Amino acid sequence: MSIEVANLVLNGSYLAILGAAIAALAGIGSALGVGVAGEAASGVVAEDPKKFGQALILQALPGTQGIYGLLIAFIILQKIGVLGGSGLIDLTIPQGAYIFAASLPIGLIGIFSGYAQGKAAAAGIMLISKRPEEIAKGMVYTAMVETYAVLALLISFLMINGVRI
Amino acid sequence: MSIASMKKLSVIGLASEKKALMKSLMRLGVVEITTQEGKMTDEEWSRLVSLDGNESAVSEYDSRLLTIEQALDAFSKYGTEKKPLFQTRKPVKRNDFEQKLKEKEEIEAEAKKIASLSARILELNTEANKVEANKLSLLPWKDYDIPLEVQGTKETEIAMGVVPSVSDVKEFEKDLKEKTERCLVELVNSDAEQHYLFVLYLKGERDEIEDVLKLYGFTRTTFSDLQGSVASNIEAFDKKLSAIAEEKERVIEEIQSRQGSREDVEYLHDSLIIERDQAAIRSRLLLTKKSFYLDGWVPRIALDEVEKLLKDHGCYYEIESPSKDEETPILLLNSRFNSPFESITKLYALPNSKEIDATPFFALSYAIFFGMMLSDAAYGLIITVATFTVMKKFRLEGMAKQLVNMFLYCGISTIFWGVMFGGFFGDMVSVIAKTFFNSDIVFKPLWFEPMQDPMKLLYFSLLLGGIHIFIGMALNAYLSIRDGRLLDAVFDVGLWYLLLIGLALMLVGVAAPLAKWMSIIGAVGILLTGGRHKKGLGKVIGGFTSLYGITGYLADILSYSRLLALGLATGVIAAVVNTMGSLAGGGLKGLILFIIVFIIGHTYNMLINTLGSFVHSSRLEYVEFFGKFYEGGGEAFDPYSEKTKYIEILREDK
Repeated sequence: MSIEVANLVLNGSYLAILGAAIAALAGIGSALGVGVAGEAASGVVAEDPKKFGQALILQALPGTQGIYGLLIAFIILQKIGVLGGSGLIDLTIPQGAYIFAASLPIGLIGIFSGYAQGKAAAAGIMLISKRPEEIAKGMVYTAMVETYAVLALLISFLMINGVRI
Repeated sequence: MSIASMKKLSVIGLASEKKALMKSLMRLGVVEITTQEGKMTDEEWSRLVSLDGNESAVSEYDSRLLTIEQALDAFSKYGTEKKPLFQTRKPVKRNDFEQKLKEKEEIEAEAKKIASLSARILELNTEANKVEANKLSLLPWKDYDIPLEVQGTKETEIAMGVVPSVSDVKEFEKDLKEKTERCLVELVNSDAEQHYLFVLYLKGERDEIEDVLKLYGFTRTTFSDLQGSVASNIEAFDKKLSAIAEEKERVIEEIQSRQGSREDVEYLHDSLIIERDQAAIRSRLLLTKKSFYLDGWVPRIALDEVEKLLKDHGCYYEIESPSKDEETPILLLNSRFNSPFESITKLYALPNSKEIDATPFFALSYAIFFGMMLSDAAYGLIITVATFTVMKKFRLEGMAKQLVNMFLYCGISTIFWGVMFGGFFGDMVSVIAKTFFNSDIVFKPLWFEPMQDPMKLLYFSLLLGGIHIFIGMALNAYLSIRDGRLLDAVFDVGLWYLLLIGLALMLVGVAAPLAKWMSIIGAVGILLTGGRHKKGLGKVIGGFTSLYGITGYLADILSYSRLLALGLATGVIAAVVNTMGSLAGGGLKGLILFIIVFIIGHTYNMLINTLGSFVHSSRLEYVEFFGKFYEGGGEAFDPYSEKTKYIEILREDK
């Protein structure tokens, strides 16, 4: 029994798929972030329904971490053959472990930056409730947070791209 | 320089010419008239002149405008006309404009009528709310069949009321019966919050009963102004509500039947705005018995026209250049390609009058960055066609026009980069070819495919970033030199150029000895000069902190890696969409799935990535580029002109 479990866990393909799953966890951050921003947006729209569009734009900004996570997960799945028809390739344990490690940046940073960006977006929505003409500034403040998700996406991507299979 | 140069204008004229001159100045619309409050506090001025101005006339116009705005609001709220996507001003010749306003009084009466109808709707709404509230408070009692005006008999008294739902009604009844047998308790209704109770008791035993009622938190409910049974009252309320709804319907229909006059009311609105502004501007004029005085700002390019006008009206005027430290109002003048990007500058902040307009220096890079981040020829094509159609179909003005026009340029740039990197709805061409036609056609990139060689694109992005930042630094140097601070330009920009170029060359491995010495000279120079504005020990520390600023430059340049990352995001998500769409294989079923997934997926991907490209291009300009030289904080040039909302009055042809 324990040997079976060990075989399963210490298995290159399993580690790689686990990596894809971790990358997709970045969606947690986006969900929290979009949620926080949405709460703020509803409050503002309750006062002035005309601000719906503007608030929606700001609410959408923390949604990108989830997309980045999906993107990395997709690239991993494609690389190990789950997507694309050729079927799951047998990976060595190091190969699987590399892919697993490569998924960590976007998985972890996606969660935290998504949430933080959501709070910045919520503040931006508060900003447009008083000064709708300053929406660009609110967007830029929110985008400052996203930089780190972009960097994480980049590094995860470059790592996966560098693993030879 | 693309900030229009401003001249200071002071005018003295005869009071008899005042009205005519102000009218023509408004039509010309190129003079910003400054307020004179400062001068009035000056003894020398206030002895000679008094402020013109007529507050009561202005507020009268404002209240008339308010009525008209209410009428227009009513049209857009209850009217049946379709609203256009963009609200644009209608171009009208001055003659036609004045012709239309011949029946001003009738139009205003009509507007008043409509405003009163709209006010009636509000009244009806409040009334309906009140009736609704009354009805709601009666609803729990609907099974209570004693007429409400009956409060008891000669010997008995009725108490209607509620207790919180946590109290037990049986207990309550038991406690009452313990006090006296001669009472009656009935539960009329219960809901989540409270029990609705009816208690009948003898007048003589009121005090005992009252004790128990208090104990259970019994709150009396009275319907003192109602008569008859609850059911009949509810029925009456319902009737009232439907009568109100009917009347509201009628009023709305009446407003709709009058919506033909909407255009007239809009004309009236704009003509009142013009008259109001003509009355309001008087508070910025100074008067003596027979003459008036005004001063303000004129862009140099409009000077000739203004001078001609002033001469025609027999005014004495002076034109001066502003002194060096004086803040002037800001008007941006840019070429046709650059001017749409003014919107990005304005969203940040207008430049102050001591600096330069950044617009012409970032317009091209903005379009390039946007295109690289979206990097899909098909998305670019959609944006281009959509914005082009909007431009052709609507007469946009101001900021909206600039933004739409800017997206047109960005769309074209997106097409370009899409072709370079081989993106057309991601990899749709090859997916369709493979799934439905079993062939290997691909949309070949003109340059290379980022997915195959991401490092190449990363280096290219960083290179673009380096160039972009260097341009920003060059502008900083230019401003320093222009203001006679040559040393600042050499120390703060020149030395950094040496250091950064040297380091870059070392990194690439070209011209090694030269690069090494460039870096060393740059670094040492920064170390020595960085603290030159500080005192004492600060001079030493300042040098180190300046040199430490190299981390800032590193971060700035790495920030441009988003060009690669966001470009990949568009491409890969598009590929995900295409893969999902092709899961059902070829054939009719596959085609249907593909079309559905295609429409939903690509719409979403395009919207979210266009938003991302817009935000991140702006960020690169605002943070990385503007941060090098731009302060902002100027006041926009606000000429005295016809600020109409619905009608654009065309200037007579000359």
